[in-house]
Amino acid sequence: MRSPLNIKRGPILLTVILGCLILFPVFSPSPYLIHIITLIFIWSYVSTAWSYMGRFGLVSLGHGAFLGTGAYITALLFNFFNLSPWIGMLIGASGAVFLAAVLGYACFRSGIIGDYFALVTLAVGELVALSIIAMREITGGSLGFTLRSLGNSPLYFQFGSKVYFYYISLLFLLFALYLWKRIDKSKMQKALKAIGEDEVAASSVGINIIRHKMAIFIISAFLTGIGGVLYAQYITYLNPHTLSGVTVSLAIPFKAILGGMFNIWGPAIGTAMIVSLEEYIRVSYGTKFVGVSEVVYGIALITLIIFLPKGLYGTVLEIFHKRQRSAETIT
Amino acid sequence: MFEQILNAAINGILLGGVLALLAFGLNLIFGVVKIIHMAYGQFVMLGLYLIYVLTMQVHLPLVLSALIAVFAMAILGLLTQLLVIGPLLEAPRLNQLLALAGLIIVFENLAMVIWGADYRGIPLYLPILKIGNFFIRGSCLFAFLGALITLGLLYLFLNKTYIGLAIRATAQDTEIVKLMGVNSRSVYFITLAAGGALTGIVAAFFTPIYTVHPHFGSSFTIMAFIIVVLGGMGNLLGGFISAFIIGVVTSVSAVLTTTEIADIIALLIFILVMLVRPQGLLGTRGI
Repeated sequence: MRSPLNIKRGPILLTVILGCLILFPVFSPSPYLIHIITLIFIWSYVSTAWSYMGRFGLVSLGHGAFLGTGAYITALLFNFFNLSPWIGMLIGASGAVFLAAVLGYACFRSGIIGDYFALVTLAVGELVALSIIAMREITGGSLGFTLRSLGNSPLYFQFGSKVYFYYISLLFLLFALYLWKRIDKSKMQKALKAIGEDEVAASSVGINIIRHKMAIFIISAFLTGIGGVLYAQYITYLNPHTLSGVTVSLAIPFKAILGGMFNIWGPAIGTAMIVSLEEYIRVSYGTKFVGVSEVVYGIALITLIIFLPKGLYGTVLEIFHKRQRSAETIT
Repeated sequence: MFEQILNAAINGILLGGVLALLAFGLNLIFGVVKIIHMAYGQFVMLGLYLIYVLTMQVHLPLVLSALIAVFAMAILGLLTQLLVIGPLLEAPRLNQLLALAGLIIVFENLAMVIWGADYRGIPLYLPILKIGNFFIRGSCLFAFLGALITLGLLYLFLNKTYIGLAIRATAQDTEIVKLMGVNSRSVYFITLAAGGALTGIVAAFFTPIYTVHPHFGSSFTIMAFIIVVLGGMGNLLGGFISAFIIGVVTSVSAVLTTTEIADIIALLIFILVMLVRPQGLLGTRGI
């Protein structure tokens, strides 16, 4: 599908948006705003990585498993062995990849697709959360643990100012979007699309189903693992409930779906929408009663899913295309 | 030690009875509406709170509060079908799943707003029975027997009534049933109401056993999933048998290790069953 951004005006508009995002911190806005946008970048990056596979019908409800594996391995290596998170994150993400490889091979080998795949991954996300809690001697259990603070030491992925995290997470997001484009141009995209539409037909024309699914699952898990590290370094606190388990595993697809997971900009738009909504509701209701903001947030999510089944961006695109088509029929 | 394990196994069987009831509702909804009710355990949580409020604050007799809770949960089931599941019947599966998962956020935080994070329970002391060398909690035995009776009544309802026939037929083939003149939408409503009422009944049996808190439901949702998958999704007899297997396994492994490791073992069983035998213990592979 062609997006309106790709038609001529696209590159200019993109450059303007990117320029604004890069220049934004220069005008020294409130640290709160920088914080919110950094969170949007990090979660956009994660939900984009989720959509790599989600858009081909490989719906994972357990990406918290990769987030948690990546973040915990990296942070524990740093806290106990003083290993820089820049190196640690590769080990942590490799842990996520290992998990994805075992899980993916087992699932795809025995033809687990659709609902069953979603449920297996949901269970794995919860399994990782419970394992982190059970290993409470080193992980701090449900109470979580704090990263050792070194002050401003870029070599150890710790910075004195939040602005650094703003730029780093923007870079990661741009990389994830670039990778999406690369996947779209590759042969893999065509194969996965065929697999997503009809597995039997795809295998009958000689597409190696298991290999392609494994590849995209591993790429997605690797990026998600790094996303966990990014979030943990930024917040400097790790908790099994915010990094793993059912809640966060469902929050990632929520963002992708509400933006529209079939388009490159969808997950990022969905994330921007959800994170701002969350913050807005928290600020306006959160201070009066604990929990009210989450109730409103939950109702808003359900309403959005019912009325925007293709996501915000997906729905806008659809209206755009319909108008274009009707314009063509008139002329 | 051996006696301790045996005692845990007996308790597991008693717990399995109530879990079978919970899994039955989830299974019924999956079989008929073809939807995975992510917020099923949260219904039980709300039911427990309702019984608590009616008994401790409105001072109604416990049995009456339980009946009201069953009725209220049935209505909540109807509302779920009307407001959430109904509008999404034609939507992609993922959207259905996520909308119902959104209900978890709504219900848990609603409970948090109204009742706070404290553990709440009704002080009920049923005697502990001593049979030979084994100790059995009266409340568990009561819940077990009650669950079995309810399951028996459900069996009769599904097999001897016209509505039951319509429900079973819809579960088998939604399209053909429409040709037979069954209104599938109203069957969905009845199923969701029955599923809701079941959570009310489960809550009634849980009242003497557990204290309730806002996150009470999630572990039971997962437990019910595990049971349903182990027995084969949509397979009611399979769910019944696997409820006892999971009840015994978790209860015995909780005695031998810790409760978290018991949960991890249950999840591992779930994942292995999904991978090795996705149709479940008794299921036939349809998909």
